[in-house]
Amino acid sequence: MDLPTSPGTGTERSSGRWLAAVLLSVLSCLFIAAAFVVWVDPFQQYHLATRYQPRFYYLHHRYINPGLAKHQAYDTVVSGSSIMESTRNDFVAETCGSSGAINLSMPAMSASEQRLMLETAFAARPLRRVIAVLDFNEFSGGVDERQDVAGPLPRYLFDANPFNDLPYLLSEDVLMKAWRIVRGDTTERFTSDPNGAWFWGNIVQFGRDQVLRGLDLEHLNARYRQPQRTLGGMIASFDHNLMPLMRSHPETEFDLVWPPYSILVWLDFARRDQMRVSLDFKRYVFEATQTLGNVRIFDLQSDSGITHNLDRYYDIYHFEPAVNERMVEAACRNHDHVNAENLNAFERQLLSQVATIAKPEGLEALLGAPRAAQGKPGRYEPADQR
Amino acid sequence: MLFNSYEYLFYFLPLSLAAFFLLGRRARWAVAALVVASLVFYSWWNPKYLPLILASISFNFAVGQLLRRGSGHAQAVLACGIGANLLLLGVFKYADFVVRNATDLSGLPLALPHIVLPLGISFFTFTQIAYLVDVHRGKAKEPSFVNYALFVSFFPHLLAGPILHHSEMMPQFASPSNKRPQPFHLAAGLFLLAIGLVKKVCIADPLAPVVASGFDHPESISVLAAWLAVLAYTLQIYFDFSGYTDMALGAARMFNIQMPVNFDSPYHSTDIREFWRRWHITLSRFLREYLYIPLGGNRHGLVRTAANVMATFLLGGLWHGAAWTFVAWGALHGFGLLCVRVWERTGRRLPRVLAWATTFVFVMLTWVFFRASSLDAAWMMLRTLAGGSAVAEPWRGALQRALASDTQTSPMLVGATLVVGLVVITLRRNSNVMALDFRPTWPRGALVAIGLVWSVLQLGKVTPFLYFNF
Repeated sequence: MDLPTSPGTGTERSSGRWLAAVLLSVLSCLFIAAAFVVWVDPFQQYHLATRYQPRFYYLHHRYINPGLAKHQAYDTVVSGSSIMESTRNDFVAETCGSSGAINLSMPAMSASEQRLMLETAFAARPLRRVIAVLDFNEFSGGVDERQDVAGPLPRYLFDANPFNDLPYLLSEDVLMKAWRIVRGDTTERFTSDPNGAWFWGNIVQFGRDQVLRGLDLEHLNARYRQPQRTLGGMIASFDHNLMPLMRSHPETEFDLVWPPYSILVWLDFARRDQMRVSLDFKRYVFEATQTLGNVRIFDLQSDSGITHNLDRYYDIYHFEPAVNERMVEAACRNHDHVNAENLNAFERQLLSQVATIAKPEGLEALLGAPRAAQGKPGRYEPADQR
Repeated sequence: MLFNSYEYLFYFLPLSLAAFFLLGRRARWAVAALVVASLVFYSWWNPKYLPLILASISFNFAVGQLLRRGSGHAQAVLACGIGANLLLLGVFKYADFVVRNATDLSGLPLALPHIVLPLGISFFTFTQIAYLVDVHRGKAKEPSFVNYALFVSFFPHLLAGPILHHSEMMPQFASPSNKRPQPFHLAAGLFLLAIGLVKKVCIADPLAPVVASGFDHPESISVLAAWLAVLAYTLQIYFDFSGYTDMALGAARMFNIQMPVNFDSPYHSTDIREFWRRWHITLSRFLREYLYIPLGGNRHGLVRTAANVMATFLLGGLWHGAAWTFVAWGALHGFGLLCVRVWERTGRRLPRVLAWATTFVFVMLTWVFFRASSLDAAWMMLRTLAGGSAVAEPWRGALQRALASDTQTSPMLVGATLVVGLVVITLRRNSNVMALDFRPTWPRGALVAIGLVWSVLQLGKVTPFLYFNF
């Protein structure tokens, strides 16, 4: 096999000119595109949006949070999954007495993503306090496992290496976003409130009817498809992702908060053999952090005033913003603090609540009397569908 | 590292070219630099498998040396060499498949080894088997380990072929003139690379959601949606694979290396035999030279020929992936080729258009097995294609729904991509022909620049959180 022969010196020379012209044109166009993206910076990767109203694009947490973490002024971080998104920065700052707070929560966040996000924040500035809300599901699977629904993770935005930013700088999607900002085109879905970039508590309805709509009470996990977790896997993920972070930043106070899912979540855990795993994991987290003077744990999971009042929920996992505030208050005003004396009491209380709710009369007390709906006896239907 | 990635286009390829040509005056250094670059390219995805490819290269080089020196046990040495390569492929590619089937057959709860498939293992294993056979046949000899390592690991062909013959590559690597930058070949290579990138990024990739929406739920789509999905896949797989190959050939050409053509307008074929002369040509060549002909080819009567054809295609199918769907796909193509042979014996010829249409539809339908997640899913898709779907939907709605399967791309754009894809496969001049008679004209330069800019801007997709309801 041979190379096609070169057509001669003249063509070699014209090929050289052609090559130079093509490469120069391509690189010039791409340079202009990149410069435009840097100037507008839709994801605030290089600077905060000051010349225009910031755009926190719907469900683009993983693209925008890294930039916010790098450039916003704060000393307190809220880190959690979708359940923590409706937490306002100013409330956190005021409650915790900090000079500034930032909510870096991400939907379907994994423990490895939580670590990456917090590492990005630590690389940007020293932190006084981290309020990390621990979701059991973030510790499922392997130590670096991510949920499929989370979509791709743009790791290049989380680090400080400018050479790997090309997917941001040279992307038609980003370029179009920048162009729409310049044109004032608001057809995309976004919010502009830097105080609550990912706040959704004001756009959905909370209430018992909403929680029960379409819910299969026999198979509570059918809608959420949460994977089965193992204690070993959860511990490995916690040790790999969060423990090193807490150890290497003794100057920062880490407040680990167990969020108050509705009691139906615990019923689901009990039915899927996830109850003991979850409780043992909580106990492990407590014991593992005992030697760290900068870590405190808060537990709201047996607070029946919240967990048994479905009117405070959007679905069995997600609660109203007031509950978010309650968690922040717990951390910063030292309520619901778990210590060696009350650790067992928290657990006993929760077990007792689940045992009650697992009985038909307990469930009925929570939900009201069941009605047969569409030939499915015992299925609860929201009031507006009865 | 993928050819259609920023790190390859902006860092790896320019730096490799620079290193190779800067060291060009010292041939051995230039070759060594290219080997190192190729190994970096390979291990970019997962450095864990670097020792594997190094061991494979070292082992095959050693076996080649033994064969080259000649001994009374050459046949045994060759058998051991080939056996070791097949064992490696078997362990890494087929272990799960074998264990799963053994479990199904025996009912024993055998644990799956879950071995991650190293990139390009099928390609570099076949390349080296061919080398050993060629050495045994006296057609190849390579005394230098570094040269041999470059032949196997040369990054343009490492992950997805073409499958190379030692004899067609080494003289090019040895040529001193090839180690000087030649603007004509650099330009032609860039031209081919741009064509490949456009094919992959601007045609194949946008069709992927249409394909996925059809193949993921064949039971719940209409007949039209099913045909659209299969047609989209027919285009996607061609533009994806041939685009990737064009990028490989383009990169090699920049290094003054001409690699063999792998695709030659396969959808122009008017029978299955012609299809296999045009589709993945270097694999067909490998299977013909190292499997079909050694088995006896067509020299022992119709029955033996049929058996040889079927064996070749079954193994060819299995080479593509460790699943029964690939075996079925290979079996169908083998059967199709036998039908062509039998038909030819009748001495009758189909009208050209009818022959083309028959071949195209056959190839399309066999892609169902190639793409489906299981044999059951493939059957379900075929049933839907045949009208057995329970979903009745007006054609306009079905079309809109199928084209709107990617929420981030407008249905119009996806539809236009399908049309452009169909037009391109009917064109007489394909990328190889265009690269062969490449001339650095300004209109061509403008098209290359536009194609490159457009494709690069498509690489960085912003994909938000997918599960909208939390």
